[in-house]
Order: sequence, then C-alpha cells, then structure tokens
Amino acid sequence: MYILQVIILGLCLGFVYALMATGLTLIFGVMRIVNLAHPIFIICGAYVAYWLFKFYGLDPIFAIPIAAIVCGLLGAIIYKLVFEKDAGSQRYSEMTVLLTFGTAMILDGTLSFFFKNTQRITSPPYATDAIFIGDIFLPTAQLYSGLLSLSLIVALALFLKFSTLGVAIRATSLNRVNAELVGINVKFVCLFSFILGCALAGCAGSLVSFVFSFFPAKHWEWIAVLMSLVVLGGMGSILGAVVAAVVLSVVASLVGAFFAPSWSTMVFFLALFLILLIRPHGMFGKYLS
Amino acid sequence: MKDSKYLVPIMLFIVLLLFPMIQYFTNQNYIIHLLLYAFFYIILTSSWNIIGGYGGFISLGHNAFLCIGAYVAGYCAVRYGISPFYLIGVSGLVAGIFGFIVGLITLRVRGPSFIISSIALVMIMRIIFDHWDLVGGASGITLPYNSLPVEWSKIPHYYSFLFLAIAAIYLNWYVRHSKFGLALRAVSHDETRSAVAGIDVKLIKVTAFALSTFLIGSAGAVWADYLTYIRPNMFLIILIAANIVLMVILGGKGTVSGPIVGTVIFILFNEIILSFFGATELNILLTGLLLVITLLYFPDGIVGSLKNKGIIPKFLDWG
Repeated sequence: MYILQVIILGLCLGFVYALMATGLTLIFGVMRIVNLAHPIFIICGAYVAYWLFKFYGLDPIFAIPIAAIVCGLLGAIIYKLVFEKDAGSQRYSEMTVLLTFGTAMILDGTLSFFFKNTQRITSPPYATDAIFIGDIFLPTAQLYSGLLSLSLIVALALFLKFSTLGVAIRATSLNRVNAELVGINVKFVCLFSFILGCALAGCAGSLVSFVFSFFPAKHWEWIAVLMSLVVLGGMGSILGAVVAAVVLSVVASLVGAFFAPSWSTMVFFLALFLILLIRPHGMFGKYLS
Repeated sequence: MKDSKYLVPIMLFIVLLLFPMIQYFTNQNYIIHLLLYAFFYIILTSSWNIIGGYGGFISLGHNAFLCIGAYVAGYCAVRYGISPFYLIGVSGLVAGIFGFIVGLITLRVRGPSFIISSIALVMIMRIIFDHWDLVGGASGITLPYNSLPVEWSKIPHYYSFLFLAIAAIYLNWYVRHSKFGLALRAVSHDETRSAVAGIDVKLIKVTAFALSTFLIGSAGAVWADYLTYIRPNMFLIILIAANIVLMVILGGKGTVSGPIVGTVIFILFNEIILSFFGATELNILLTGLLLVITLLYFPDGIVGSLKNKGIIPKFLDWG
C-alpha cells in the first residue's frame, strides 16, 4: 500500500515535470536552441501567480493564463533581442546555449535584485488539504497540479497534431529547409514556438507555485533536472520527454521514500549519465549529427 | 623581430616575480590578493581553453574538478597534517584521473548534450559532497592557518599561483603549436574526417580533457589552503563555471593570450562593479549582460577580433 501511495505521488509530480520539459523540448525541436533560460521563465510564472494571489487573492489555477501571457511576452522580447540575429549562423547551437545561459543569469539577477532570495510559496486553501481514497491519501495541491499539467500536455499534443500551425511546427522541426520549400513561414513558426514554449513555462510556473517553494536561484537546480529529462527522452521529442519525466519522477519518489529524500534528485542525473553511455541520442530521439 | 614579441611578457613576469618585495615597505595585501586571484583564474581559464577553445567542448562543469583538487588537499591537510603545497601534484593527479573517467563518458556526445552533462556533473557532485560525512558534509572542512605574519601570509599562495599560471599558459601554448593540438583542432571541426585521417579521436579528446582537469585540480589545492575552509557550496555553484566561460569568451577562445586578457579585464570590471554597487545580485545581472553582449557582438572575443582585423599587438600574438 505504501508503495502505491509513493507511486501515485510520484506520478502527480511527474506530470508537472513533464509540462516543464515539453516547452523546453518544443523549443529545441523547432529552433535547435537548448534554452537554459527555461527554468527561470518557470520562476517568473510562479512569481506572477504569487503576487496575483497575494494582492488580489486570485487562485493560482486561474492565474495560469495570465502567467502564460506574461511569460510569452517576455519570451517574445528576448527572442527579438537575442536570438533572431544569430539564427542560421555557424556553430549555432553551441553559441545559443551560452546565450540562453547569459539570459538566464540576467533574469535571475533581476528577479533576485527585486524579490531577494527568500523562499516563497502560494498558499491557496486547497494547498494543505488532502483527499482520502481507502488507505491512500492524495494532497489536493499535487493532485490538481498533476491533472492540470496532464490536460495542458494533452491540449498541446492535440494542437500539434491537428491544427495547421501545429503541422507547420512539426514540419519545421523535422526539416527546416524542406519546410521553407513547401511554403511555411519558418521565421514566424520559430517565433511562435518560442513564445509557446515560454508560455508553457509560465503555466508550469503558476502550477508549481503552490507545490514547491521557490526563489530565483532555484532555477539552477531545475535546469539540470529538466535537461536530463530532455536528453533522456531524446532532444526534441515531446513524447520522450513526457515518458522520461513520469518514469524518472516515480523512481525518484521511490528512492526518496525508501532511501533518503535528499538523494532523490540524484536519479535524474545518474539516468542522464547512463543514457549518454548506452544511447547518446536518447530514448525516442533521432540521431543528430 | 623575435625580441619585441617576448620582451613585454618577460618584463611583466619579472615585475610580478619581484612585486611581493613591496611588502617590506607598505602592506599591500589587497593588491597581492587581486593579483593572485587573477593568477588563479588564469589557471582555470587557460586549462578550460584546452578543451573548450581548441577542442570545442564547452564545459560548464569544470568547477567540479576544482572542488576535487581542493578536497583532496584539504582532507589530507586536516587528517594527515600534510601541507597542501606538497599536495599540488597529487590533487592534480586525482582530478586528472577523475576527469579522464568522466571524459570517457561525456565526451561521446558533442554540443548541447555535452553542456548539459557537464552541468549534471556539478549537480551530482553537489549532492554527494553535501552528504559525505567523511569530508564534513555540507559544513565542509576547516584547514589550519599558516603561521606567517599577516603581510607575508599570502606570499606562498602568490608564488604557487604565479608558477601554476605560467605552467597553464605554457601548456596552452604547447597545445596550440604541437601536433597534439593540431589533432585536437581537427577533431573539433569534424570528428569523422579526423578519424579517417588516422587520428585516434577518442584518445585525443579524453587526453585533452584530463590535461585541463589536471591543472584545475592542482590550482584547487592551493586555493583550499588560501581560503582555509572549503564547503561544497563554494565550489559547486554555477557562477564559477559561468565566470570561467565568460572570461575565455571575452578574451577569445582558441587563442593563447585570450584567456589571460579576458581574465584580467573581467576581474577589473568585477572589482569596479563591487566598489560602486557592493556585492548585490546586480553582479549576476551584469555578468549575464556582459556574456550576452560579447556573444552577440564579438563572438571571437577581444584577441580574436583584433586578430581578424590584423591589428593585434605583437606581444599578444602567440598564435
């Protein structure tokens, strides 16, 4: 029974991690940018939800669209300023990793200058509640954020599968040159998917704002966790990232429950090293030269 | 004109060698500290340049090897009473062997995956060192002070860092001008073609990685003695890795003098910011801003840009 309990808690967190990772892998798939600034966008979303709750009493769940819009706009500004100039130059992907790293430092510095590195958490009434099903108890905060993340992921998958823009995004991530040949406006698709990725980070931010406590410098921890999910799933594969997130999160919860909580994040990093040893292009990834 | 090319560096070396004599007249500990801090970072950036500049593997995890070097020296100093200065080589060797093993795993992938794995390495080390009771866990190790009077207490570190920095610069120069360096640069451009040309790609990559971690580990031993206490959260934070990368990019990666120029300029910049704004979060903001601006407008760095325009001063043109 105890194991089942741990697995369910791990699943809920896994979907939240999956939502965080989908934006990242979407941006990588389309633009070949490894966005190290992604976790700081999540923190931005969390701050939006936090201040809206603090000043206007707005429930973090209803703050999701606002956080998405704020982070999307921020992403658009950063894309225009930083990434547009260099798209298509040589050694693009290595350069942009460092560019996103610099962007993350700028945002981190700005946020911690204004809000300081104190731990904050949004506390809506359901944050401390739990539902009991037989012997298993479900903290409502984790349950809500897990379910909402899952539904957002499903919505994203449906959008990518069936809408015209979604097809254009998938085509661009398959082959940029050929996508341009069949008449897709690749520049617009890039801009749109960057904004979409950042908006997803914002959504994830307002969802985690009542699950984890957060502070600006926390994003360095998340970078490594999210990156290991993305590499494990195969760079650019959304399905891979979701599967990796759910599986690893369950394993991490098991390690935390039966071994020691502070070692649970180790699972993500060890998995990363293992996958580099066995299958460097990830579980679902295609081999990128 | 071979003379004028080497005149400035040799003069600079003699001045730096004699500079501590100033302590006979006035106590200039602040300047000594700044200089040895600059030497320390020159060791880090020059060794990083071997794998990051010539090899093309951008590592954001080299501070992990600094941490290993510092902990080897710190642990032996406290447990067995050996002065860290005798352990410079041992620390370097341990860090080098560790780097060799890590390199065997992570150097299989290039580009984004490698950068991510280097960040993950730092995170793994952080978790391990935070929970390793033998080396003090999160509260770390306190090393014994040296018994020198205050105006001479920094001098052993000053000279150690000076000679280690020269070793690092020489190694950098050697790698740039040797057959090994040629192979390394070939590997950084195209691994398949270099393998076809008869280069043992894997050996070259891993050796370069181990070389660069060896020097960083030996710098860690002296750094541990200088700080007199070591904690995981002093070494295993991303800001140190960021500083190393930024300094090399600023000066020009893949050049011998680039890391030196970048380090000196960045440390001056940092001191000026500190004296105007104090140690606030603005530091992180400005470091990031400098990194982004450099990458966008001078991707080749100062030395690289000057070289491209052909107006580089002779004493900086070491290849």
